[in-house]
Amino acid sequence: MNKIKEFFSKKGMKKAWGYVAGAVLLSVVQVITLASTGSPWGVSGPLMNWGAWTFRLFGGNVNNWHRFSSVGAQATLDAGFFSDPGTIRNLALIFGALLATLLASQFKIKKIKSKKQIIAAVLGGFMMGYGARLAAGCNIGALFSGIASLSLSGWVFALFLFFGAVAGSKILVKYFM
Amino acid sequence: MNEIIIDALGEACPVPLIKAQNAIKEMAVGDVLVLQVDHSCAMKNVPEWARKDGHNVEIEEVDDGEWEVIIEKA
Repeated sequence: MNKIKEFFSKKGMKKAWGYVAGAVLLSVVQVITLASTGSPWGVSGPLMNWGAWTFRLFGGNVNNWHRFSSVGAQATLDAGFFSDPGTIRNLALIFGALLATLLASQFKIKKIKSKKQIIAAVLGGFMMGYGARLAAGCNIGALFSGIASLSLSGWVFALFLFFGAVAGSKILVKYFM
Repeated sequence: MNEIIIDALGEACPVPLIKAQNAIKEMAVGDVLVLQVDHSCAMKNVPEWARKDGHNVEIEEVDDGEWEVIIEKA
């Protein structure tokens, strides 16, 4: 009983859970995800759909784009924003992170320090997003879910993720620090 | 004993860690580095590195979502 009380105390909410607890929880929840939605966990795929929906909102048409031309992709787009499990999960991810930081009293709106920081963020975001689409997955869909599905592609992705991280760090230190 | 303050507020990983590592190299034994951060990952990876390197580390929560990682070079 005291343990539970301690967990929900202010101090308990600030305490990090550690790598093992995180790994176990991620594994359990991704199994539930696969079992309940029929697809493995992915983050950047739904984000791509957000782009398609935004484009449609402004009168654009993505139906002939190779990426969205399959029957499955068309069905997901036509069903709409709130019918896509991946979209709901991404929103929940943001709200969950917000909730955790609020419960720990660690919420803070961070200042933008310099123009360089904006350029780095935009450039980094573009490269990650574009790369994730070329690889047909990000570090969740291609790496985490790939390895969890006992697929070799996850390990190949991991190897090149490592090279990408080395290159990214070099660019960061050289131009953006 | 010198005290060096590094303002890494608003900087995301791994920038605070690299800044701390570069600063420690220039410091003498006994000097103190105060690293101001507001990125919760930095509050984890900076002390982890510093303790592994054998320095004395203390973390102080100075405000909501704002910390000072105090490292004494050993």
